[in-house]
Amino acid sequence: MKPHETIYPDISDILKAKAERRRDISRRSFGEKIAMMEALRERVAPFKRLREQRLAAKRAAQESSSDSDK
Amino acid sequence: MGMKQILDVINRMEADGIIGRYAIAGAVAAYNYVEPALTDDLDILIAFEASQAQPQSSLVTLGPLLTYLKSKGYSEFQREAVLIEGWAVQFIPVASDLDAEALAKAEPVDLEINPTEGSVKTRVLGPEYIVATALRVDRAKDRNRIIQFLDDEAVDIDILCDVLGRHGLADAWRAFCRRTGIANPCEVKSIP
Repeated sequence: MKPHETIYPDISDILKAKAERRRDISRRSFGEKIAMMEALRERVAPFKRLREQRLAAKRAAQESSSDSDK
Repeated sequence: MGMKQILDVINRMEADGIIGRYAIAGAVAAYNYVEPALTDDLDILIAFEASQAQPQSSLVTLGPLLTYLKSKGYSEFQREAVLIEGWAVQFIPVASDLDAEALAKAEPVDLEINPTEGSVKTRVLGPEYIVATALRVDRAKDRNRIIQFLDDEAVDIDILCDVLGRHGLADAWRAFCRRTGIANPCEVKSIP
């Protein structure tokens, strides 16, 4: 029996639109890009905090593991 | 406008059954693991019903979702992305087995916004799936992203190698390692 094959939607139009948005960004002035970056930094700050918490936990685990090896 | 307002809208869409399971993908998902790169859009990978006999365009697939958002007052578009609370949100239906697995295994996170706004629950694609997707798409910015994940040791190499092998990306991975001059961190074998 032929295995079931999932038919996925064609997202080429989405990828094309995303590429166009990226080109729009690249055409912006330096000042506009800096402003974008500042706004972005504020919006994604919660992700940065999550990342830092995870890294701190990883470092603590590594230190505790190296201490117990001594 | 902040991340909480946008995720509240998307979580409401999931609760209302407008979209199935979703996860944050793309550059914003990458922020969860590595330093940011400039973007102005939020990619949301969404499940879809695989009932149609023929592949449909994403415009058809996303139709009901866009109608719902319009009814909530979000009718402004920026090159196919919907503007929600000031962000260009791009809904991307699952379009491959790799996407489907990435979405199924997306990590739940409780995103602490600030003491006033509290937190919001969401899901973010796992780092190994972000790297595998970047390898599959293979633009210059995707290759940079892969190097960033490797440099920051933000991926579990065993999981990454397993994902690459199972999704037929082993050859692309070897080519990537050769081209960028990095030692191949895994010996992956393509599944015939």
